[in-house]
Amino acid sequence: MEHTEDKPTSNRFGFHRWLVIVLLVGNIFAVSAISPVLPAVSIAPEHLSGPYQLPLVGEIYLTNTIVNTLLADLILLIFALLVYRGTRGGTMILEGLAGVMEMLIDAIHSLTESTAGRWARQIFPWVATIILLVLVVNLSKLFPGVESIGILHEVHGEEEGYPTQTLFSLGDLEVTTILPDEPAGVPEEMGEVGEAGAEEAHGYGVIPFIRPASTDLNFTAGLALVSVVVTQIIGLRALGLGYLSKFFDFGGFVNLWRRPKIGAFDLIFPFLDILVGLLELVAEIAKIISFSFRLFGVMFAGTILLFFIGTLVPVFAQTGILLFELMIGPIQALIFGMLTLIFMTIATQGHGDHEEEGAAAH
Amino acid sequence: MTPEVAAILVDGLKFLGAGLAMIGTLGAGLGIGILGSGAMQGIARNPDAAGTIQINMILAIAFAEAVAIYALVVAILILFV
Repeated sequence: MEHTEDKPTSNRFGFHRWLVIVLLVGNIFAVSAISPVLPAVSIAPEHLSGPYQLPLVGEIYLTNTIVNTLLADLILLIFALLVYRGTRGGTMILEGLAGVMEMLIDAIHSLTESTAGRWARQIFPWVATIILLVLVVNLSKLFPGVESIGILHEVHGEEEGYPTQTLFSLGDLEVTTILPDEPAGVPEEMGEVGEAGAEEAHGYGVIPFIRPASTDLNFTAGLALVSVVVTQIIGLRALGLGYLSKFFDFGGFVNLWRRPKIGAFDLIFPFLDILVGLLELVAEIAKIISFSFRLFGVMFAGTILLFFIGTLVPVFAQTGILLFELMIGPIQALIFGMLTLIFMTIATQGHGDHEEEGAAAH
Repeated sequence: MTPEVAAILVDGLKFLGAGLAMIGTLGAGLGIGILGSGAMQGIARNPDAAGTIQINMILAIAFAEAVAIYALVVAILILFV
């Protein structure tokens, strides 16, 4: 049909350009009404509710990153339910969200099969879980309100607090904003006062309800520990106790015993083998640190960048950073998963067989 | 030295330390540039393999970038902890 090619370009964006313009104008007015405030950056996650006593674990707090992890679990379970409902009818082509999940799982599965070969069946659950969980948790940073809506708390000690102003109240709950002090910079934040009428001796700060879990070193370190420990278990399962000969390599000495003639140079290589094995052991521990700090650093730096750019240029500049984060989140999830996959594959391969690894065949 | 002067000195040195820690990102920038150059040459020689080369390049860039992120984490720790 010719008329599809002759569509006038002035109408190409249609409804969306009005939405963007309305949001932009709203942004300008909101920023001039209440200026943004720079929040207190804390590497440790903040407690939302007090210590609970659990039987095995002991005393734990409910932090805002735990809330985000639980939400991510909920979202993944809902996706799984949607896929289950879709496949129950017997159709070959899934539609909607189930189709998207099928595409994703298919991509991860083909990646795993092309890399791991025979062991893909055991390795795939771990890799897919890590990729999906980190993907959901990274993308949850982009939703509005994630690190800005929270609980007001009085600030004691040497942290800076800000004065507050009540915007409106929903019944019992007052919705409050913190205002900038004169010299401070400003991003926009709204907090909900837990108890009305708190005596304000110091300033106030905001504890967000939800904070992306990958900005918490606990989450990333835990995931890295799981990844490395399961790699060792899969290696032990694949190679038996011979897996330990990667780290403690006394095979050189055994071979030396069997040789008829021993030259001067032949004595050095067994020692080198032992040294290399010990270096591999150190490298395993370095993997834990590397995994956890890579994910934590990228996400936390993105958070700080969002705060600071929102303070300096409150109108529209955060959009560029959010686009960047939209790209970086899935890439970091994929990196974590792919590195886990590659290390697990290497763990299942002994010294003798170095097969061809196609780590990038999609 | 009064406590206030000491506090200001500590703050100033913190900023200086954070700035010095970020010098480590030089290596990452160079590394990523070399990776990109290698990928460009590979694609120029064999345009059909562009997809494979691109995916491997992104994987290698994430490795190189991780070192810069270690430096960033050290700087953040100096500033905020």
